[in-house]
Amino acid sequence: MADIIQKKLQTEVEKYQQIQKDLSKSMSARQKLEAQLTENNIVKEELDLLDSQNLVYKLIGPVLVKQDLEEAKGTVGKRLEYINGEMTHRHTEVLAGLQQEYQKSQGKVPVKV
Amino acid sequence: MAERNLHPQEVSRLREEQVKVVTGCQDQIQHWKKVQSDYEALQQRLSTLPDKLSYDIMVPFGPLAFMPGKLVHTNEVTVLLGDNWFAKCSAKQASNLVEHRKKHVKTALDDLYKVVKNFEARVGFTEDLEKQSSEKGDFVDIIEEVENEEILTKGKQRTAHKPYSRPKNQDVFECGEGDPKATSRILSEEELWARLDELETQEELLDQKDRISYSADTNGDDTTSSSSEEEKEHLSGNLPCLHGEEGWPPVTQEDSRLITCQANGNGQHHSDDEDDEGSCVPTIYFTHTVEPKRVRINTGKNTTLKFSERKEEAKRKRKNSNGNGHSVPGLTKIKTPADLYRLFVDVVNGELVPRKSILKSRSREDSMCSDTSESSDDRRGFCRNLSHDESTHSDTSEGVLQEEENFPSKPLPLPGVFEAFSGTVVEKDPTQPSLIPHLTIVSPALPTIPERKAEEVVPQVQKELCKKVSKFKAARMQQQI
Repeated sequence: MADIIQKKLQTEVEKYQQIQKDLSKSMSARQKLEAQLTENNIVKEELDLLDSQNLVYKLIGPVLVKQDLEEAKGTVGKRLEYINGEMTHRHTEVLAGLQQEYQKSQGKVPVKV
Repeated sequence: MAERNLHPQEVSRLREEQVKVVTGCQDQIQHWKKVQSDYEALQQRLSTLPDKLSYDIMVPFGPLAFMPGKLVHTNEVTVLLGDNWFAKCSAKQASNLVEHRKKHVKTALDDLYKVVKNFEARVGFTEDLEKQSSEKGDFVDIIEEVENEEILTKGKQRTAHKPYSRPKNQDVFECGEGDPKATSRILSEEELWARLDELETQEELLDQKDRISYSADTNGDDTTSSSSEEEKEHLSGNLPCLHGEEGWPPVTQEDSRLITCQANGNGQHHSDDEDDEGSCVPTIYFTHTVEPKRVRINTGKNTTLKFSERKEEAKRKRKNSNGNGHSVPGLTKIKTPADLYRLFVDVVNGELVPRKSILKSRSREDSMCSDTSESSDDRRGFCRNLSHDESTHSDTSEGVLQEEENFPSKPLPLPGVFEAFSGTVVEKDPTQPSLIPHLTIVSPALPTIPERKAEEVVPQVQKELCKKVSKFKAARMQQQI
């Protein structure tokens, strides 16, 4: 009798831990994206401050590659959109779902105990 | 009731967490401030850099060496825009970029400051909470424990009726539960008497509890009681000679947890059995005593009397069982001082009627007891007796105290309106315990605020005059007048 309960408890705890891991992963990914978002925003604004006379370079590996200002602006803009998309589509729903499951399993574990 | 759940450990833990947040915020603020200062230094440098075409400097060569060199193209600055993007721009443009970045830093700093402010407020609040839950504070929990959920309703219970429909009589009619008389009508006669006996014993028990807890009180000042407090003061004030504690059955502390008072600011508190271990807040437990049903009876000219119907029925019952009109004190059981007064009843028209009140009528607003004494209990009891009538023993206490009012009538400024003596004197044998000079004084009804004020206003001269005298002596003196 006690064994069965023990096993059940074990499975529940494992589930709970798994959900916890997933949640933390998503959280860190989300934070990364947010940081990139702010950075790209600053870049965009600073590019707007420059004029075409300035030379814009992009660091690819050890090389500074010359870029056109307009091109750079476009690239940065696209990157921004991409980041936003990532954030909204993928992560919000997943996050919400994960949080729900997390709380559910939180509730289950003490009940089982 | 949330205070029960707040243990000091929890509160301190909360405080710790909040303090952590505050310190974290402070660290971040430091960081951003450093960044800000760096940017300002950079701006400074950028402004001075294009002054010269080239500078002679010591160029760092690896981690440990420097080499003399020159700084050229002083106006050309390569700026890292972020995310692996670089831009070559003049010093001024770079300065603009720096300015732009500084704006961001400033907004971040402002947010952090706001957060710190909020959390500091929160910390203060939890500190207060901590103090509250510890003994040092001046906070007192006042808890009333409701044991039985029955609510005494005088009228019928109302049910809400649906809109656009009339309330039907059968839906609405529901008797109030708290009225024992109503229920007793349904019972047969024997059950009726049994029920009355029950109620009577309950009442006596309650009264005894009241007295015991009053005597166990440390300080009467801070109580938050209802009528039970006044009741106690009545009893203790009116019947000092009859106050016998030996006869009372012992009441355990668990039963008499009516009132636990807090001594003034000392933090002393009674710990009830039901208190949690962790709660250090001084608590005052109180319960409302159930008022017995009262009825006003006109016992004469300008006199009305309040007495409990239950008691009347009980008296009647005793009369029937004893077959005796007057209850003899020796025969019937006197457990409490109140019993005495219940026993001394007049027989009027074959019915037992409590003694007529000799207190003056309350028709006048300032017809109040005449002094503002703070000291003597019986004075207080007297005044209170005059001013309100909530005790079940109101009819008894009247007998003792009315005389005090009689003779100081002259020097009192207030009782110019107060009729000290109506003019009729009934001669009775002073040795009889049932001596009541026939004065039209009535026990007043519930106190009203103006009357209370009148009480307080009266000068203290009357204090000396209204000494405690027995009613026999007073009656004798009255007759001598």
